[in-house]
Amino acid sequence: MTIFQNMNITSSALTANRLRMDVVSSNMANAETTRGTYVNGEWQPYKRKMVVIQSDRSPSFSSLLHSEINKNQNNGVKVTDIVEDNTPFNLVYNPTHPDANDQGYVQMPNVDPLKEMTDLISATRSYEANVTVFNTNKSILTKALEIGK
Amino acid sequence: MINGISNQIAIAKTAASTSTGQTTQQFSTFLKDSINELNNTQRASDIATEKLAKGENVEIQDVMITAQKASITMQTALEIRNKAVEAYQEMMRMQM
Repeated sequence: MTIFQNMNITSSALTANRLRMDVVSSNMANAETTRGTYVNGEWQPYKRKMVVIQSDRSPSFSSLLHSEINKNQNNGVKVTDIVEDNTPFNLVYNPTHPDANDQGYVQMPNVDPLKEMTDLISATRSYEANVTVFNTNKSILTKALEIGK
Repeated sequence: MINGISNQIAIAKTAASTSTGQTTQQFSTFLKDSINELNNTQRASDIATEKLAKGENVEIQDVMITAQKASITMQTALEIRNKAVEAYQEMMRMQM
């Protein structure tokens, strides 16, 4: 139904922001993981993950035609991919560590807790903003039902 | 102004000329469809809530949003029902 269009858009944004928070949780949890992936017989540290957020507009012919006819440009948002951060790993000198190399250095994940916290704040604020949009939309719909009372 | 009135008369004439059977049919189908729609939203909300309670893979915001949608559809249906009853009572009060 068209009256719930706004709610569907908000719903997609909330889901996307929850996923962003999940990715931040994963990064924070694995900030010290030296055995993330097993590549060619040796362990690689965990790589920081990032989300790719895209406007949810399916490129099918019918949906494009429909949106052109109705001049309907509003659409939701979608996380299309989760990519890995390829910045180099942090080298920490710790010869007693089981994953230390011959020189005594350990490759630690390229996760920066500061960066993750700011990402988390950003996702939380974004989520709250979308909840406010939803509430406003709902109060407008309820207000519209009072027309003529 | 006069144009507007004559337009309204024309509309009233066409409304009167359509067979009553057809109009009641249309209204009843409309009513039935609306109630079905209402029922669907309520059921969607129920299913989502049950999934959440069972601990299945469902997002909490989706559950809340489906519940809100059901609530708004319910309120709309109530409002339409109130208007219909109001119109019926107005008719009943008519002096013969």
